[in-house]
Amino acid sequence: MQMPEPDQQIIARRESICAALGKLVPADSVVASEEGRRAYDADGLSAYRQLPLAVVLPETVEQLAAVMKFCHAEGIKVVPRGAGTSLSGGALPLADAVLVGLGKFNRILDIDYANRCVVAQPGVTNLAITHAVQDNGFYYAPDPSSQIACSVGGNVAENSGGVHCLKYGLTTNNLLGIELVTIEGEIMRLGGKHLDSGDYDLMGVMTGSEGLLGIVSEVTLRILQKPATQRALLVGFDDTAAAATAVGDVIGAGIIPAGMEMMDGLAINAAEDFVHAGYPRDAAALIIVELDGPEVEVDALIDRVAGLMKKAGASSIKISKSEEERNLFWAGRKSAFPAVGRISPDYLCMDGTIPRRRLPDMMVLMATLSQKYGLRVANVFHAGDGNLHPLILFDANQPGELQRAEEFGADILRGCVEMGGVLTGEHGVGVEKRDLMPIQFTEDDMKQQQRLKCAFDADHLLNPGKVFPHLHRCAELGRLHVHKGNMPFPDLPRF
Amino acid sequence: MPKIQNLDEAAAAILDAQQAKRRLEVRGLGTKTRLGNQPDYDDCLDVSAMQGIVDYQPEELVLTVRAGTPLAEIEAELAQANQMLAFEPADLSGLLASKSTGTIGGVLATNMSGPRRLTAGAARDFLLGFDAVSGRGERFKSGGRVMKNVTGYDLSKLMCGSYGTLAVVDEVTIKTLPRPETSLSLLFGCNDMGSAVAKIAAIFASPHEPGAAAILPQNVAVTAGLDMAAAFIVVIRLEGIALSVEDRAAHLREMGGVLGTVAQTTSEKLWAAIRDVDLLAKAHGDIWKLSCAQASAPAIVATIEQAFDITFYADWAGGLVWFAGPSGAAFGTALRAALTAHGGGYAHLLCDRGMSKNQLPVFQPLPQAQASLTARVKAAFDPLGVLNFGRMHNGI
Repeated sequence: MQMPEPDQQIIARRESICAALGKLVPADSVVASEEGRRAYDADGLSAYRQLPLAVVLPETVEQLAAVMKFCHAEGIKVVPRGAGTSLSGGALPLADAVLVGLGKFNRILDIDYANRCVVAQPGVTNLAITHAVQDNGFYYAPDPSSQIACSVGGNVAENSGGVHCLKYGLTTNNLLGIELVTIEGEIMRLGGKHLDSGDYDLMGVMTGSEGLLGIVSEVTLRILQKPATQRALLVGFDDTAAAATAVGDVIGAGIIPAGMEMMDGLAINAAEDFVHAGYPRDAAALIIVELDGPEVEVDALIDRVAGLMKKAGASSIKISKSEEERNLFWAGRKSAFPAVGRISPDYLCMDGTIPRRRLPDMMVLMATLSQKYGLRVANVFHAGDGNLHPLILFDANQPGELQRAEEFGADILRGCVEMGGVLTGEHGVGVEKRDLMPIQFTEDDMKQQQRLKCAFDADHLLNPGKVFPHLHRCAELGRLHVHKGNMPFPDLPRF
Repeated sequence: MPKIQNLDEAAAAILDAQQAKRRLEVRGLGTKTRLGNQPDYDDCLDVSAMQGIVDYQPEELVLTVRAGTPLAEIEAELAQANQMLAFEPADLSGLLASKSTGTIGGVLATNMSGPRRLTAGAARDFLLGFDAVSGRGERFKSGGRVMKNVTGYDLSKLMCGSYGTLAVVDEVTIKTLPRPETSLSLLFGCNDMGSAVAKIAAIFASPHEPGAAAILPQNVAVTAGLDMAAAFIVVIRLEGIALSVEDRAAHLREMGGVLGTVAQTTSEKLWAAIRDVDLLAKAHGDIWKLSCAQASAPAIVATIEQAFDITFYADWAGGLVWFAGPSGAAFGTALRAALTAHGGGYAHLLCDRGMSKNQLPVFQPLPQAQASLTARVKAAFDPLGVLNFGRMHNGI
């Protein structure tokens, strides 16, 4: 992975930069030692590591703004970091960039039941929001699997999803307001406790912008009343294509389950070995369907779903009869990644999305690629929305295997786009999928996205080297194709 | 007036306009021209020929359609598969004296969402991807045709509510949802606005899944055909399978204060009237749309009522207040001041029946930092101000 060439002059100024930062934040909020910085050298994509120039951990938005203002004035790059759980390298440090950690922004500021929202600092964990309101029967819907550790600020940066986003949406659909600090150190509030504003939806583009447009310093999140009942079905199929059809049948029948997950044979067995959830070992595909809502509704819909599954050719159907059983159904799915980790020294987790009806084609493609590369692949899917998580099994100690696994993964993502899908459903582009962006987007598509970036950060100081494979200077991007040497509206200001 | 058939022609028209130093008004069926400011333009760019459903996969909950397609055509197509646009776009043709509900492009450009916005999301929550020509005259696309996608910036959000000031859009991909099997509404009586908002908060703190919530003062309720002995009527809509709707209605009735139940057909008409602002059609003055924190609505209304002769009602559990009030700058200025004093929000002059647009901004003025950023975003897409120049703000 080629990162932007580090600026040696900045690196040479490391000590004076740390000293200057120490005047903007409390002394212990600057991590300058190599040992201290080492703790921040990677995020959830641990194959890539880099010591940051310095780590700064501001405690207030004023301190954060001062740090940004300083970096902007000095031309120093900034990499924002929440809890460091990104799976795509969004918080990977740069040798010549200050890593700004939001770990000290860890307070819930306001729990507002009248308006059904929570105002929190960005370093608060996702699960802590639900914990803060669950005694009153509320919860925060987006539930990425890292929810015990990931921060809500990071959720905004990555537009995080989770197994329940089929029904309840991603972060962007559950976010009411943010406060952000721009690279220039400007503090801006977008949205609030109200639902809609009438302007350019700058909060909408900040969400999922992977730390390239600004740093979120406060969030206002919508909370929901917990559903009265949750029940799940565990359905085995001998044939993956039939399972994929069954998923479409449920949605086609007008039922939107709270979650609908699928696993293939290898994943089923790895999970069963690990947690003994009672999964059908001989099934080619397993579907978990969860329904939530009023008890009478859930009971009625469970029967309808079971009927649809049977009709589609299910080989086994179990319906949860208790909370313990429902949790057991989920236990295998939720531990699928560590379970696969037990049967292989290493694995790569991919994250493409396809139109769901192409799932059988995708299974064929993966089987072909598996043979071609001589590597196994285990599959867990968010089947309801077509989001795939193929886990490519490899051994990093075998020369060439990591590279083969990466090529395998790239081929899968290429297949996703060819089938009408996208490179990443929820993990983000980061550094991991950066160089694959041209598969999905033309040069013009990416240039237009980067023009938006230029509106927020004209000097490319915020998290450069992520998301876009080629960095174009903003002046170059802003240039217009001029007809016959005539610049129209010559008196207009241009950015 | 160039009537374009596709984005290549749009690009050519935009480049020609740049060359000739002319500005363009982007126009579909022209049903929403009264929304926002009159842009500064020399020619119309008629996009209404870019019509037709490109791909619709009900099992995938995904619809791809050209932006000039009439909304009514889309809704009819979705209904055949028992699906809908869950954000429930309003039909403002009555209010705006226009001929139809317009195009899907117009709905998205104005982020036009109805009562279900409270629980299902706004138009901006349902746009998955699009292709377009920027004001630079260059083609680009963003998003995709699948529900879950975080690849690149989410420019779909930016397009929604941008009033055609950034780009000319052709194909849009929208998430659809199943139409509920049935619905009904419960009517609760309340003595004042404060207790109406509190009632709704209590209902939303229950697990009985209300889908929409409106507050009608007695005079407006009468217009809606609800003649009841209560100063305020809270209307709660329940949707879903019949068993569930009946069960939830029974639980909510136990909470007390129920004046009546409105069955499906009448309930649908009632909510259409609430959605389309029909309830203020006969009221005098300008129509303002106010987006505020739900719990702040009573205080805002109280402040305004003291100073002005108004007609109003609320949707979105109090979070959307529709006001009819006197034309001129004073009313809008007071609304914006009341918002600022009560937690913030957004006041938009939706329908100017006087000459109010000349006296105060239609869109809420932006704080300086956000105004500068907004201008830079406009310039990133349309540096010469070719598209709908001034439709939203000065120079935007």
